[in-house]
Amino acid sequence: MPEIDILYIFQGIATMVASDPTIVVARIVLILLGIAFVYLGAKGTLEPLIMIPMGVGMSSVNAAVLYLSPTVMGTIFLDPMASEPAKLLDVLQINFLQPIYTFTFSNGLIACLVFMGIGVITDIGYMLISPLRSMFIALCAELGTLLTFPIAVAMGLTYKEAASIAMVGGADGPMVLYTSLMLSRDLFVPITIVAYLYLSLTYAGYPYLIRLLIPKHLRGVAMDPKQIPSFTKEEKMTFAVIMCTLLCLLLPVAAPLFMSFFLGIVIRESGVTPFVDFISGPVLYGSTFFLGLMLGVLCEAGTILNPKVILLLVLGMTALLISGIGGIIGGYIVYWTSGRKYNPVIGIAGVSCVPTTAKVAQKEARDANKFAVILPWAMGANICGVITSAIIAAVYVTLLR
Amino acid sequence: MEYFLGSVKLMLIVYALTAFIAMAMAWIIKLLFVVIRRRGAAELAAKATPKPAGAAPGKVS
Repeated sequence: MPEIDILYIFQGIATMVASDPTIVVARIVLILLGIAFVYLGAKGTLEPLIMIPMGVGMSSVNAAVLYLSPTVMGTIFLDPMASEPAKLLDVLQINFLQPIYTFTFSNGLIACLVFMGIGVITDIGYMLISPLRSMFIALCAELGTLLTFPIAVAMGLTYKEAASIAMVGGADGPMVLYTSLMLSRDLFVPITIVAYLYLSLTYAGYPYLIRLLIPKHLRGVAMDPKQIPSFTKEEKMTFAVIMCTLLCLLLPVAAPLFMSFFLGIVIRESGVTPFVDFISGPVLYGSTFFLGLMLGVLCEAGTILNPKVILLLVLGMTALLISGIGGIIGGYIVYWTSGRKYNPVIGIAGVSCVPTTAKVAQKEARDANKFAVILPWAMGANICGVITSAIIAAVYVTLLR
Repeated sequence: MEYFLGSVKLMLIVYALTAFIAMAMAWIIKLLFVVIRRRGAAELAAKATPKPAGAAPGKVS
């Protein structure tokens, strides 16, 4: 009978014993954090669609470290840094998630698929109710995206890294993924993780910001539903096609995102049910699932121990906080200029976490006044937020790439 | 310091460009909407207006 080394059989434990203590602690913390994400996602505290696959991926990848060769430790999940053709071909045949990562994640396809899905579930008619006010609010809600940029530079990041982390202020996951892929490939993993982590926290955090900055009697301002005009499908499709073409013409670098989003809208309005069902179901949920799983699997101890991660955590939070405040300031400005007929809570919906922030705004308004219906206007600001985030991302990428 | 001031300048440029493009989009939507609605209203009005009697096709026996 051959001699059996127990640690050789249980390599997850063997690699922990042989690793640097910092790595060991990080691995244990990340395993526990992954389990906590699953729990909080299932409980509904965090966004379950992202957090459940992300939590499982995070705990599994940090547990499943093995010896790839007698001296090299790693996993057989994926290698985010493999870019040299020969090495890439190797890892594509070994790492089971590498094909999904290489062919959908690292080229931004998954971000575009999510955007297409968001387009299919978005009614552009909401934006057409009051395009100038909605766009103004969305611009105010980009305050975090802009102010975080010089703050990040002051804290030692390069322009490209600063622009990538500043995009967290736009609260649009696919946009952050796309910008960081384009501008700072070395940091795109931690930046995207920070972004999605915080985005799932906005649902829990923004209500407190609204209650802190807007008194109850203003939160309950009722809006007149008679102001909402109706739009035909043809009108909505015309707007979507014209906007898509114009934005692609002005900012070709973000054309994949623009096209995906507006294609989703056009498909929704065209009424081609098989396409609508396909994109709003398998495409949107499939890409969200794999996005969550990829983010979890990318949370390896080695990646997270990058000294810039703490900085990114602080800057991501700063960006979302300033954007939320900016949105509420925008809501107040429209409230005053409209003769106090506009609910300032709508301002928070300018932060384009579709449709989360719009739902948060509606919930807060209804808690203050059970007859207050602001969702259509909030969704309008929300959609404008997506468009302004995409414009900012495109301008940053064009200027800095 | 110069690097930081550069970032502030860049931030202002990015914001100005974004605001210009976004507001231009909003105005285009608004104007397009007005044009579409006016055309629709004009078409409806034209349909509702009764045609003069002389213009009606005569009965051919």
